[in-house]
Amino acid sequence: MTAAAAPALERRRPAFSFGRWLEREGVFSWLMVAPPVAFLVALVGYPFFYGIWISLQNRPVAKAGEFVGLDNFVAAWHDPVFRLVVLNTFVYTIAATLLKMVGGLGLALVMNQDFRFRNLTRALLLLPFIVPTVLSTIAWQWILDPAFSVINWALMYTGIANPGPSWLGNPYLAMFSLIIVNTWRGLPFYAITLLAGLQTISPELYEAATIDGASPWQRFRYVTLPLLKPVIFIVTMFSVIFTFADFQLIYVLTRGGPANATHVFATYAFDIAMGAGQFGQGAAIALSMVPPLALIILAMAIYMRPSKS
Amino acid sequence: MAVSSRESRRVFLKRTALGAAGTLLAPSIVRAAPKSMTMMHESSFVPPYDAFFKNKLASAYEKLTGIKINYDVVSVGSLQTRVTTAAENGSGPDMTHIGFNWAFLFDEKFVDVSDIAAEIGKESGGWYESAAESVVVNGKWKAIPFGAIGQLMNWRTDWFKEAGYDKFPDTWDELLEAGIKLKKAGHPFGFELGHGFGDNHGWIYPLMWSFGAREVEADGKTIVIDSDETARAVDYCRRLYKETMLEDCLGWTDVNNNKAFLSEQISCTNNAESILWSAKKDFPDMAKVIDQSQNPQGPKGRFHMLNPLCHAIFAHTPDHKAAKDFLRWLMKPEQAGAWYDVAVTYYQPFLHAYDTAPMWKVEPRNLPYRDALKTAHLPGWPAPLSRAQSETIAKFVIIDMFAKACAGKSTKEVIADAKGQLKQIYRQA
Repeated sequence: MTAAAAPALERRRPAFSFGRWLEREGVFSWLMVAPPVAFLVALVGYPFFYGIWISLQNRPVAKAGEFVGLDNFVAAWHDPVFRLVVLNTFVYTIAATLLKMVGGLGLALVMNQDFRFRNLTRALLLLPFIVPTVLSTIAWQWILDPAFSVINWALMYTGIANPGPSWLGNPYLAMFSLIIVNTWRGLPFYAITLLAGLQTISPELYEAATIDGASPWQRFRYVTLPLLKPVIFIVTMFSVIFTFADFQLIYVLTRGGPANATHVFATYAFDIAMGAGQFGQGAAIALSMVPPLALIILAMAIYMRPSKS
Repeated sequence: MAVSSRESRRVFLKRTALGAAGTLLAPSIVRAAPKSMTMMHESSFVPPYDAFFKNKLASAYEKLTGIKINYDVVSVGSLQTRVTTAAENGSGPDMTHIGFNWAFLFDEKFVDVSDIAAEIGKESGGWYESAAESVVVNGKWKAIPFGAIGQLMNWRTDWFKEAGYDKFPDTWDELLEAGIKLKKAGHPFGFELGHGFGDNHGWIYPLMWSFGAREVEADGKTIVIDSDETARAVDYCRRLYKETMLEDCLGWTDVNNNKAFLSEQISCTNNAESILWSAKKDFPDMAKVIDQSQNPQGPKGRFHMLNPLCHAIFAHTPDHKAAKDFLRWLMKPEQAGAWYDVAVTYYQPFLHAYDTAPMWKVEPRNLPYRDALKTAHLPGWPAPLSRAQSETIAKFVIIDMFAKACAGKSTKEVIADAKGQLKQIYRQA
């Protein structure tokens, strides 16, 4: 093609030039894609397949493995704690994701309005997301500590409850507290992403809707929500993945206690693999999170599929 | 514009390619055997303890032998992960601090040090029996025990006195009685029942043992958790929790009871010497009214948890003899004695030569920690260390059996749960 367009160039074309070869679209694009692919294969692909391999073995720490097929998965299935872990993970993920979705959408709608110090507020909103999880979780540890809790202090001071509730000691309250902390941490991610989505919606659509006599709720329901759907889908998917595989927050606050009431896949797998030195079982538990996660994402993809009409 | 961007892209690609090739072709550097060794250690609760190794012991050894000893401090809670990494990769530090059942877990990755253990024992008055329990795997010493971090009763003498107790209750029943009175007076007890490591095992296992209960027999196979003794221990624990403790204990990890005690929320807990340490440093008035006692006894005796700190040599260390020589030197009374002194009995020696060491006179309230060593055992006792035993601990089977009973489940139910879990762990399901 180049030759036809520019015959003068063709005459001077050298036999082979490494530099020119590199510049060819096909070669260059592959070259650019190769490093991230290599990176993914090395840091995600290899550990993932190695994990699968380990999960099929009886593999104690510092000892050679012995192939046992699906034994570790069968053992996990018969383990009552594992079943509790599955339940806990679902409760934790669903509750926290819903809270983040509703709260995040609300925040984004508010942030999309015009008001004084809007930019400052937007910046502050990101704080929970910026502070390292371990640090913010330690702050929460103090907030939820019955002896030093500001919440309990307030409850006692106002005479509402004395002693205050045991936020991390009661099995149900412990799960509730973890969901709240997770929501607090994940809310900014939702809010900022949805805010970005809101800003792409053309104001003309709202004007048209208003002229047609749509109420604020109708404008939200029939203009905002459908246009925001793809963004909500992406952000929810991310959030589900992160929440499902959460580790730091739970490990710092309860380590899965009281009596396993807050153990989730990641914390349980870590305890079994690192604490008990049972790599095979730990890997099996960690990998068990893949199929349900894949199913959730698939279901979401089907449900939230942008309609072609 | 287009030309310059193409130009720079070309330059970039050429440079990258050249750089990569250069890295691949660079001659591999052959390293000579280093004249140094590294000891990995979890950061101590007693800061001068780490400093003493770095500043005094390491430099003294270097002066003596020319071998530099690096002291690699690991943050609290991450030592096992680091030991796992080193053992799995066969590289990293030459020696490491280990605890609990790691001699068993990392068995093949540690050097057999039976020979120097025997020499050290002979030199320093003989080992406590619990020393062997901590590190002997298949008849071989896989590490040199350094000190136990005992878990004992920490209590407020002033509040106990107000309730009519001049000394610490001798039996679990008396402790319950005292606790009821103290809780009524606004000074509840607080014993960890959550998923920490030390302070829950520190009293739950001894409580169970002193009622005559155990999870598995000494043969390491026969599951005996479903017994009247276990039921009595569980019933007792439920009462102790409900009638004497703060509700929050169920969710505690190892830091919570220290905080609650030092903030005067509780009048008694089970802990290492750290509460008295912190109180002396930060709350001297409170320190005057704190005392430490052995665990109460039950129908079948008095027990304590064994929480050992030992030093092991990694099998990947190039020069086993050099590492053994160092540990041998470290455990000589001149060195080990001075190191124990710095921590003032926070680490209780496993060697009888130190039974009457001057450090015990510095703080006589620590003496019960020395005496508790005779009745201390690892979790899972009397069964030997095994894969199943370490899994039982990591799954908190015993702790949760008691915790669930405290949270309201029936004794029968929690024992059946634990039995089911143990059967599964011991592959008898």
